Amino acid sequence: MNTQLILNKRHKECLNENLVLIGIVILVVITAVLEPKFFTPGNLTNIMRQFGPLSLVALGMTFVIIGGFIDLSIAGIISLVAVLTVYLIQPLGQIPALLIGLAAGALMGFINSLILLFFGAMTQAEALFITYAMSLFYGALALLSVDGATQHMSWIKRDISIFNEIGGGSIGFVSVSFIIFLVSLVILHIFQTRTYMGRSICLTGGNKVAAELSGIPVKKSIMLIYTISGFMTAVGSVVLFSRVTTASPVLGLNYETNTILAVVVGGTSLKGGKGSVIRTMLGVALITLMSNCLNLLGVSTFIQTMMKGAILVIAIWLDNRKEL
Amino acid sequence: MEEKSSDLILSLRNVSKFFPGVRALDNVSLDVKKGSVHGLVGENGAGKSTLMKILAGVYEKDEGTVIFDGEQIEQTTPIESLHRGLSIIFQEFNLVNTMSVGENILLGRFREMHGMRGTHERARELLDSIGSTIDTYALVSELSVSEMQMVEITKALSFNSKLLIMDEPSSSLTDDEMKHLAEIIKNLKERGVAIIYISHKLDEIYDFCDTVTVLRDGTIIDTRPIGEMDRNDMIAKMVGRSIENEFPERPRCVGDTLMEVRNINTKKLKNISFELKKGEILGFVGLVGAGRTEIIRAIYGADKVHGHEVYIEGKEVKIRNPQDAIKSGMGIVPEDRKLQGLVLPFTVESNISMAALCDITKGGFINKAAEKKISERHIKSLRIKTPSSKTETLNLSGGNQQKCIIGRWLEMKPKILFMDEPTRGIDVGAKFEIYLLMKQIVESGGAVILISSELPEVLSMSNRVLTICEGRITGEFDPEKFSADEIMKKALG
Repeated sequence: MNTQLILNKRHKECLNENLVLIGIVILVVITAVLEPKFFTPGNLTNIMRQFGPLSLVALGMTFVIIGGFIDLSIAGIISLVAVLTVYLIQPLGQIPALLIGLAAGALMGFINSLILLFFGAMTQAEALFITYAMSLFYGALALLSVDGATQHMSWIKRDISIFNEIGGGSIGFVSVSFIIFLVSLVILHIFQTRTYMGRSICLTGGNKVAAELSGIPVKKSIMLIYTISGFMTAVGSVVLFSRVTTASPVLGLNYETNTILAVVVGGTSLKGGKGSVIRTMLGVALITLMSNCLNLLGVSTFIQTMMKGAILVIAIWLDNRKEL
Repeated sequence: MEEKSSDLILSLRNVSKFFPGVRALDNVSLDVKKGSVHGLVGENGAGKSTLMKILAGVYEKDEGTVIFDGEQIEQTTPIESLHRGLSIIFQEFNLVNTMSVGENILLGRFREMHGMRGTHERARELLDSIGSTIDTYALVSELSVSEMQMVEITKALSFNSKLLIMDEPSSSLTDDEMKHLAEIIKNLKERGVAIIYISHKLDEIYDFCDTVTVLRDGTIIDTRPIGEMDRNDMIAKMVGRSIENEFPERPRCVGDTLMEVRNINTKKLKNISFELKKGEILGFVGLVGAGRTEIIRAIYGADKVHGHEVYIEGKEVKIRNPQDAIKSGMGIVPEDRKLQGLVLPFTVESNISMAALCDITKGGFINKAAEKKISERHIKSLRIKTPSSKTETLNLSGGNQQKCIIGRWLEMKPKILFMDEPTRGIDVGAKFEIYLLMKQIVESGGAVILISSELPEVLSMSNRVLTICEGRITGEFDPEKFSADEIMKKALG
């Protein structure tokens, strides 16, 4: 009796842990049945491209959420980085423009953390509002800088081959954007599990007070998580505008909700401390495959949005249940 | 053990509860008589909390039957238990700090009380009935710990409780407040309310209880009328071996001055200056809230304090944050191990390695093999009871959790270790081990500042005692030459 009870509990835990994976498998099967062309290289490349910007931004957001915070500023950062980078290609050339764009993203994230620390905002709720304010600020800056006009990459007279590759290139059937994602994933995974600062971020998310009393650099961790988030958002922004070949000053709109959705669905706890970039990858995969599948089924985007909301609520519910 | 069932308020038969990998309760049978005080003792991890949580409806039992007031109870929820007449006062209070006393006592039943006026009137009656004079309009956040406890008890009474379970009710009470609690318990007994009294303080068990049950490793070892079990017998049954003394012999290795602190001044603290010697255990005696914790937090850099000076071995050190403190050879075992000590959802291993993490990092990467070695060494030497080093600390019992924190600092070989209520809520066996660890630290040339609300503990372990009252140091004593009364007098101002 008792051994069986324990076994049942283990099974339950195991099921909870791998729910996302099971969901992914089910979606792949459904899609493959509906669309026999699903497994063709062309479609796979396509799905990888859809993976693109969201997955990169979500990798950065994972650290923010593990650290016990939240970052709503990514919408603004995406827009501002896109407008800035595209604007700079003409005068500076593509490589300097790219580097400046990425650095600008990291800087914006860093500024977020300085503001949080300066105001002593140590809770998720405070971070929510402050980063939302920063998003409005960065977004407005993007609009102001180009007078609200969308920048088209076709206007640029200089070489934009790098951006073309990022947006549409592929090696074999693997898209370049997916390679960027994989490289980021590996680096960030090693960072989280092997390095001192990675551990510090997790401990900060687990219990700031205890971490600080034990000499863990809590403030430095907070600066780092927002800088990482800012940087990865910039990478996502570059992939995004390269694919659509235009940089609209409202490019990043609504990205924050999808990103948080992907991270939380993956199984990173909003309470902080627990989570991983691998889980986030699964979360992004689930969401991407789901839209792909629902599109094939002809479900309207309004219903899709509703389903995303429901999934987020369920993910948080499952996370809370784990503690019982 | 055969009683007439009508005399019993609570009767458990073969109750078991399993957690993954652990058998938390194993065939527990227990009878509690109406209007009696039933003591429940056992080491941390013995299963007391699990038992309570099953009764409260927080956990579901896996096997067995529970009969409460003649009625067999299957699944239940906390609110159902309350209405049935079974209340639990947890160690950590369940009060809404920002609401008034009256509102807290009758929380969620304002409509039944016909609004706020009725609520406060009823609360007043209930408070009067236990002889408490707390203002029902006062905010809970302004109350002392013992007053909060009164509010909890009153809240329980408001449900017409027939059985009240008190978990470590005295852990943060002063002696005077204890006397008050004793009166209330007597009063409740006279009304026919049964009480299950859980405590690590054996004196209280002997003072209050009619019957005592010893629980160990999830099984009931013995249940007897209090008169039939002597103290050593009880301790032996709790720990499964006999312990000669509650305290080890006082360490005697006081040397030269190790640390000198001058002029800590904050809103709360006034002119705090003192010395700490090598190999010394220095005790801080004072009431909760007298400023004991604030002193060590100021030295440790946990609170921002300016203008004070700290000298270690004659050299001035500037400590701006805990990291500086650790670099100067300090460590802290904080007051609240769950909120300030442990990162609960993390493994035993990462909790033990936390302070040393910086030292086992090379080029930004953590040396995982070294981390594993550190944690396994301390799990072994401190005899931390855990399924593995990868178990999350939230699954450990209080004593084992505290040992994780102590292991964290032992690894650093601290010169100065601040220990704030290191044995609060910890059983006799684990307490003794913690005393031995303190001894080990000072004998290897370190020094300990010990804060404790348990007077016998401070007086038996310390080489020197400072009394602290309202943010000032009011006296310095050699605990071997002065009586507890004399020292307490100074601590009370």
